[in-house]
Amino acid sequence: MRVTAAILVAALLCLWGVSQTYALETDYQRQNADPYQISAAFQRLEPLRAAVPEDAVLGYVTDTETGSAVESAMFLAAQYVLAPRLLEKNVTHEWVLGNFTRPADFAAFGKTKSLRLERDFGGGVVLFRRER
Amino acid sequence: MPGLIWVLEAVLLGCLLVYRWTDLRAVNPRPARMLLIFGAGTAGGIGLTSCIFFLAGPLMKLAPADPLVELALLAWVGYLCFRMPPHSPASSPRLRSRLAVPLAAALVVTLVIAAAAILSGLEANPHGYWDAWAIWNLRARFLISGGGLAARAWSPVLGATTHAAYPMLLSSFVARCWLFGNVTSAVVPAAASLAFFLALVALVTGGIAVLRGGTLGLLAGLSIAATPSLLHQIPALYADVPLACYMAGAVIFLLLEQPLPAGIFAALSAWTKDEGILFLLVFLAASAVWRRSAIRAVVAGALPVAVLLIGFKRFLAGGSSSLFFNSLPGAAHRILDPARYGTVLSAFEHEFISMGIGWYHPLLPWAVLAVALGLDPKQRRTMFFVGAIILVLLAGDFGVYIVADNDLAWLVQTSLNRILVQIWPLLAIAAFLALRSPDVFGPAPQLPAKSGRKARRATSR
Repeated sequence: MRVTAAILVAALLCLWGVSQTYALETDYQRQNADPYQISAAFQRLEPLRAAVPEDAVLGYVTDTETGSAVESAMFLAAQYVLAPRLLEKNVTHEWVLGNFTRPADFAAFGKTKSLRLERDFGGGVVLFRRER
Repeated sequence: MPGLIWVLEAVLLGCLLVYRWTDLRAVNPRPARMLLIFGAGTAGGIGLTSCIFFLAGPLMKLAPADPLVELALLAWVGYLCFRMPPHSPASSPRLRSRLAVPLAAALVVTLVIAAAAILSGLEANPHGYWDAWAIWNLRARFLISGGGLAARAWSPVLGATTHAAYPMLLSSFVARCWLFGNVTSAVVPAAASLAFFLALVALVTGGIAVLRGGTLGLLAGLSIAATPSLLHQIPALYADVPLACYMAGAVIFLLLEQPLPAGIFAALSAWTKDEGILFLLVFLAASAVWRRSAIRAVVAGALPVAVLLIGFKRFLAGGSSSLFFNSLPGAAHRILDPARYGTVLSAFEHEFISMGIGWYHPLLPWAVLAVALGLDPKQRRTMFFVGAIILVLLAGDFGVYIVADNDLAWLVQTSLNRILVQIWPLLAIAAFLALRSPDVFGPAPQLPAKSGRKARRATSR
């Protein structure tokens, strides 16, 4: 009797645990839906993706703070969306992706790094070309 | 949807291979046999097709022929299974536990609720959490590209910002389904993650049911399926749940006197994540000490995938440095810093407590059972075997935290919960094996007739 009761209590505890997990997880996920906006990155970067060949290696510039979580997230999200194109955080390549969080004078920004604005895709996505 | 079909094809192929070429088809009772075949087939099928894809596609550039080869293999194995004589039902004693039906129902309800929680996570984050899109599925996107671009998945350029040298099982499997299905849908990694979770529950439930009776098997499965921290990791789409599945499978198979699948699963764990490499080494050492007669078969099972892993690490990803080698400069200074030991110990304690939710901790159901059933001293040898593996794994992870060059607080905060998720199923296996079985007056569990003497020895231990 004692063993049967213990087995049933253990099973009920598991059911209680999974119910609690469901309640917490659904709440947590509602509050943390796509925090790095990966789905949005696909939409933002799709025009650039269509314009750049698959075997390209692109440089990368941004207006986010170097070493910040936002910078890492934006870079890796762009890499994820644009693969198999390869991104490198420098401006030494002929083609350079500009990935910006705010509207700005992108042509002037590029000029400071010897980059010519080739095409503005909107949404802070810009393709620069290295000036020779 | 087309990608999903290739996930299911891998599961079906794995189940047929396990049914045809392992002794699991002779395991009794029948529900445990079905669970073990499903669990082994699912994880094994995903692992096998991932390895075939990686070898044929990115390495040998034969990808276009790959789906046809797999379908031909599926048809052939299906034919061989069809031609096999049916298993005699007379040798299948019924599971007579009075509580088997309510416990099985509780397990089904638990899995349904768990699936609902997982789906809410997948709906909110279809691309998974950070590592899923920054490491695992990122590399899958490289692997599906033609020409020489697949090699960018382990390029040092990529390695500068993410972990290009991590083992390839998960990335390669996702790439396989994407390429064969001609779609890069987020459904594929989600389905793979869910499949590994179900395989894990099936392996633990079926394995403990054979070794210690149906009641404890179902309770072990319930305990795993209701672990909050484990459930949180499934929609993350990381490699930790697949790793946990392979590690648990390897231990279960060795305890079931199935050394060849045990070796295969141990090697697949190493091909899943770097922590699995440590597991493979520890598992081989523990097998050599506690299961000496099985070690040759374990090594034979592990060898093919281990060779693939060594080849990948040595010749392909050699340009990308690992956490270990990055941490060597200044390691002596960190090893001699007593503050780091305190930080890591308190993090272990905190994360272990955090595996639960509210006042529920996954250890609680086991504690209730331990009070009522007590521990079985005959299980001591098995306990030493599984316990030693767990302790060495924990010690290894502890050591990595001590020497790692990264910011320690950040490192433990972002990884320790997942380390515990990897090891938790092993701990659950050890804990449930240690209990006295409430099914002692029912029919004795039967292991494959081929290894009957060994099986009786194992059961008596």
